[in-house]
Amino acid sequence: MTPCAVTTGFFTLGKCGQMAVAGCPACGRAVCADHLADGGMCPECAAARRQFGHPAAAAAARRRAYRHRQAQYYGDAGYYSGFDDYDRAAFEPGAAAHQDYLDDGDDALVDS
Amino acid sequence: MHRAAYLAFDRFPSAKGSAVHIRHMAAELFDRYGGGLLCVLGGGELPAYQREGGVEIVRFTDVVPNLLDRAEAFSRWAADRLAPHRDTLEICHVRDPWGALPALSTGARLVYEANGLPSIELPYAWPLAAPSTLAKIREREERCLQEADAVVVPSRVIVKAVTGRGAAPDRVHLVPNGADPVPADVPRPPTAPDRYVIYVGALQPWQGVDVLLRAFARLADRTDLTLVVCSSVSPARARPLRRLGERLGVRIQWEHQIPHADVAAWLAHADLSVAPLTAGPRNLDQGCSPIKVWESMAAGTAVVASDLPVIREVLGDHGRLVPPDRPAELARAIRVLLEYPDACRELGERARRHVEAGFTWKHARARLADVYDRVEAH
Repeated sequence: MTPCAVTTGFFTLGKCGQMAVAGCPACGRAVCADHLADGGMCPECAAARRQFGHPAAAAAARRRAYRHRQAQYYGDAGYYSGFDDYDRAAFEPGAAAHQDYLDDGDDALVDS
Repeated sequence: MHRAAYLAFDRFPSAKGSAVHIRHMAAELFDRYGGGLLCVLGGGELPAYQREGGVEIVRFTDVVPNLLDRAEAFSRWAADRLAPHRDTLEICHVRDPWGALPALSTGARLVYEANGLPSIELPYAWPLAAPSTLAKIREREERCLQEADAVVVPSRVIVKAVTGRGAAPDRVHLVPNGADPVPADVPRPPTAPDRYVIYVGALQPWQGVDVLLRAFARLADRTDLTLVVCSSVSPARARPLRRLGERLGVRIQWEHQIPHADVAAWLAHADLSVAPLTAGPRNLDQGCSPIKVWESMAAGTAVVASDLPVIREVLGDHGRLVPPDRPAELARAIRVLLEYPDACRELGERARRHVEAGFTWKHARARLADVYDRVEAH
């Protein structure tokens, strides 16, 4: 039996492990009947396909649309370009308090 | 189409206390609304997309080196994820301004869970952040807190911080963190030393782990005693403290990123648990509700912790308080408690009963459910 390789679980993650019925045509992993998504793909590849064509173009369009929406919401056209290069410089990877700390991708803004 | 969304600029799941918090708060939200959308950070082995029953989990996986850019990119990405659900979304639960801003634009009710404030915590990890930058971040916090239908805080100290940022006092609700009771027969971890004092958690400067190491150096005569540090961060991140420990000649056993389910056993079999938080702005002005203290109490292990308002709220009379940032005082308190094991056990038992009576995650979820009731009634 080939076990389903889709990751499941909310807090404790594991592999599904049920009997696979197909292989995802995009990434090749084995998928069980419960996890088979649109087009016979695994849920992750199916979700990715529903998103955007060209990542760079999509990102730019997203950024413009989002700033536009937010600026309208607050009645402040400049609000969403509030952070400038001076603000950003302090958050470059080399500017962290502990250089050793950069290797495990800890992203959180706050700890609690 | 979802009726509820939970957004957090935080990796989930992870070994950190924040992930435990997200787990319980998001579960309450999704149970109530028959599922929902969870937008969190991904990375590592975490899948970018998951569906668990009615819950859809989407993870932000773009590699953006600059933290501020990454937060902004997350915000835009989250706005995109929320867009298809605009017509059905009734409530968004967020933890930071970068989750709150896209949530506000949906028109859904906003519950802002203020466990920490980036304008206070960020300078610890990013010391070059200018006051003007922090003022801009504070301005965003203020906007979000003022617009929120409810602000959920885990400590009275944070109540002051959020009302100081414009949150209406009648919309601020206290939901302390909690811990689940630990079964009395939980097996001893196979690699646990015979007698040990334990520290559980992350290693940021405000945690005061350096103070604990210096205190332990004063207990060198207790050759039967080991300090166990269950670090929620990787060995590389612990390097400066490991070096300090070696320099001080302290007997430490490092356990890195152990699964949360295993932490209870380490706590339950310890002689003492220590929470040596420092008296800095993060703990004094911002506040917190340290899960390490709640979990130690739930495990029935006596706690020695810094005498700070945030700790008094949690520990009350059910632990031993010592002045913060004083290794000698901390060492003395540890030594005295170890000399009186019966008193120590009694203290742990009292703490366990206190948690069981009103501060398990079940209680926290019930308090959060009350907040949702109020938000819906408005």
